[in-house]
Amino acid sequence: MGVSTSARDPKPPLSQAELLFQAQKRKERNFRMHVALSWFVLLAILFFLFSGQDIKIGNSETGLVFQTIKLDTQFISENMVFIAGGLGETIRISLLAITFATVLALLAALGRLSTFPPLYALSTFYVSLIRGTPLYLQIFFFFLALPQLGIILPGLWAGVIALGLNYGAYMSEIFRAGLASVGKGQREAAIALGMTPSQTMMRIVLPQALRFAIPPTGNEFIAMTKDSALVAATGFVHELMWRAVKVGRAQFHNLEALIMAAIFYWIMTILLSYLQSRLEANLSKGDR
Amino acid sequence: MPAIVKISNLDKYFGRLHVLKNIALDIEAREVVCLIGRSGSGKSTLLRCINFLEEPSHGTIEVDGIRVAGGEKGKEHRQLVHDVRLKTGMVFQEFNLFPHMSVLENVIEGPITVKNMDRSQAIKIAEMNLDRVGLLFKKDEYPMRLSGGQKQRVAIARALAMEPRVMLFDEPTSALDPELIGEVLNVMKNVANEGMTMLVVTHEMGFAREVADRVIVMAEGEIIEQGVPDALFKSPKDERTKALIDRYRAAEESGREPDQPPQKQPRLYTLE
Repeated sequence: MGVSTSARDPKPPLSQAELLFQAQKRKERNFRMHVALSWFVLLAILFFLFSGQDIKIGNSETGLVFQTIKLDTQFISENMVFIAGGLGETIRISLLAITFATVLALLAALGRLSTFPPLYALSTFYVSLIRGTPLYLQIFFFFLALPQLGIILPGLWAGVIALGLNYGAYMSEIFRAGLASVGKGQREAAIALGMTPSQTMMRIVLPQALRFAIPPTGNEFIAMTKDSALVAATGFVHELMWRAVKVGRAQFHNLEALIMAAIFYWIMTILLSYLQSRLEANLSKGDR
Repeated sequence: MPAIVKISNLDKYFGRLHVLKNIALDIEAREVVCLIGRSGSGKSTLLRCINFLEEPSHGTIEVDGIRVAGGEKGKEHRQLVHDVRLKTGMVFQEFNLFPHMSVLENVIEGPITVKNMDRSQAIKIAEMNLDRVGLLFKKDEYPMRLSGGQKQRVAIARALAMEPRVMLFDEPTSALDPELIGEVLNVMKNVANEGMTMLVVTHEMGFAREVADRVIVMAEGEIIEQGVPDALFKSPKDERTKALIDRYRAAEESGREPDQPPQKQPRLYTLE
């Protein structure tokens, strides 16, 4: 009988929408699992390529032998501490430069939105000049060219100023977009309440613009962490890259030294990307 | 009764476009005035000139004894404009609530930032005004989670919290779904009944008829007719007023905004 069979069934049947939703979820989970698995395989292949194992095919006399890359593990363990010691300096440069860049970017973005021609010009002039020249040149300019004018900057500060100026120019576009994303109605509502232009900016426009600008600023910070390696070229900042090149050249173990530095940079950016995605998730929830 | 708002010889140009032509208008204290007219007639611009969201090209605006000449510059002028803004509250078509602040924070923002009121006092006033618009229970929500009608009611509370002498409404219901218009108009009616002086740009004939003391009709930057709502709606003198009222009637019957173009017929899919 129909009634008794349905009575035995403990759960009510799922609606079509629920079934579709479940299928979709399952599909997503499956996809993510396969991506993770593929990542693992790719890592294993990379690891194997540098493992130093020989692969023999056929018998020992006539068969083929494939060699993988052999790294000097003794060199690695001896220099690990020395190279890792550059992490602090790399992080220090990046943090200082991103702070400087943020301030510059905000000023340049405000200049870009100014109706006062000289300010607008100053902002576009700065952005054009910085974006029109290589970062590498800018770093050398502050370190090598300024002393000719009697201004001697330590390598670290030359690097921080050059990186800050450079990233400030690029980030000003992000901030400009953030400020532009705040509608005219917001300003009008603030003005109608009697707020002054600076109160309107500080209380109403900037908080909304920053919320918009934080995720892309995270991207810039990640990029800057890697570009801080260029500061090694001055020879006076003992960050990751400088240390790797120094020990690599001295003992002709550039391969090992650069791989070690690469791994450090990679881990740092993975951590930063993770932090960024957490931050983004936090910002997007709630009250936009 | 003395006028609380006095507008005289007001002209406004946008470039070469003459959008307000020598407007003169007095509004008495506690008076409710509705401004009607087709889009482009200058009614919103007139409203926005009163609190200097638009700077008048020339003429004077006087609100509660503060007299400001249009088209001037300088520190003294800015101070006068600021004083006028403190006397006027404004409600916008698009609500313009601050999305990064909760409902309560939206309402205390003006008193704290502009009037330097201390927070507890500001909260007291804000809660009173939120209660006035019936939304005290939403004070901790963010604007994103409110309906359009609720947003506009919060916007009214935000303007009232500054304790203005005159309230300016710029098409307060035009961005709302039809079923949400009533709650906003009711709040406005209550505010009017409490004795607030109001100038309302609107297309809501029913509201004008019920609440307004006077209806002003604008066309091509001029006031073409004004009068008590019943008389004006019943026997308009100007041809343009007549046409406008006919449009409003037709719109009311078909249930859509008068300024919108007729909607396209929904496309029907047929088997060929």
